[in-house]
Amino acid sequence: MPQDMPPVGGYEAVQYKRNIPARGFRAGYYLAGAGAIMAYGWYHLIVGLRERNELAREKMWGRIHLIPALQAEEDRDLVRRHLADQAREKALLGENIKVYHSDRYVRPTFAATPGSTTK
Amino acid sequence: MAARKPVFNQQVLYDTTPLPDSIPKVKELGATSAPLFSASFFIGTRCKDYNDDYMQCKTENPGKGEFECLKEGRRVTRCARSVIKDLNTSCLEQFRAHWECLDDNNHQLWQCRPAEWNLNRCAFEKLGLEKVIPDQPPQSTPVHLRKKMIFAHYPIPSHAKPFITGQEEAKPKAS
Repeated sequence: MPQDMPPVGGYEAVQYKRNIPARGFRAGYYLAGAGAIMAYGWYHLIVGLRERNELAREKMWGRIHLIPALQAEEDRDLVRRHLADQAREKALLGENIKVYHSDRYVRPTFAATPGSTTK
Repeated sequence: MAARKPVFNQQVLYDTTPLPDSIPKVKELGATSAPLFSASFFIGTRCKDYNDDYMQCKTENPGKGEFECLKEGRRVTRCARSVIKDLNTSCLEQFRAHWECLDDNNHQLWQCRPAEWNLNRCAFEKLGLEKVIPDQPPQSTPVHLRKKMIFAHYPIPSHAKPFITGQEEAKPKAS
């Protein structure tokens, strides 16, 4: 029995390519376009970030200029309350007890809240 | 410990005992946050030496600054008070316009540039106080002089001109 052999002259070429034109532009153009969009976005992002930094610095310095005035007022209030506390303690207990083993000023944790005040 | 220091509140923690007479009295600032923030750069310009003195005193007396630095603190308060007073006498209209704008805009300086420029002009011409933001990066317009604020809700009207110290002096003479 004769064996099946390729036809004389060989097989025809198998058409594996689709015979339709590629749609759209070359891929490189899309890449470049996306890059351009992103460059635009990044540019504005960076401009915005820089302006935000500047605004933050402005705000920071605005507050820095105010710190001494506010702190001075607060300190006077603390001193006033501390001296009043000491005087009250002296009047009630007869002596001032040193609570902390330190000469530093400690912000009081507890404060006298008299029910009736002279206002 | 709480992150926020327990701050004395005059409404809750009454203690009306005044300071003893041995400590000189000084009138407190008596301004709320918006006027203070509006005037902060002018306070910084005029009171820099007092502020630095006070902060140095506080640094040199850790834990005791409250008592040791009362004198410096009074100077700071007097100086800041003088700035507020001068603004109120010389530039009341512009000052009020600016701090009311700040009050309405969540203390965002960039929402109030036109009002700020008016205030800066008045403060410089009448009081000689200039707004300068330190540590400005080179080759860039200071942020408070820019015509365009990216983050502002509304664009700055075109008739509003930033107050730049040198240029503004030259302009009226030319026109």
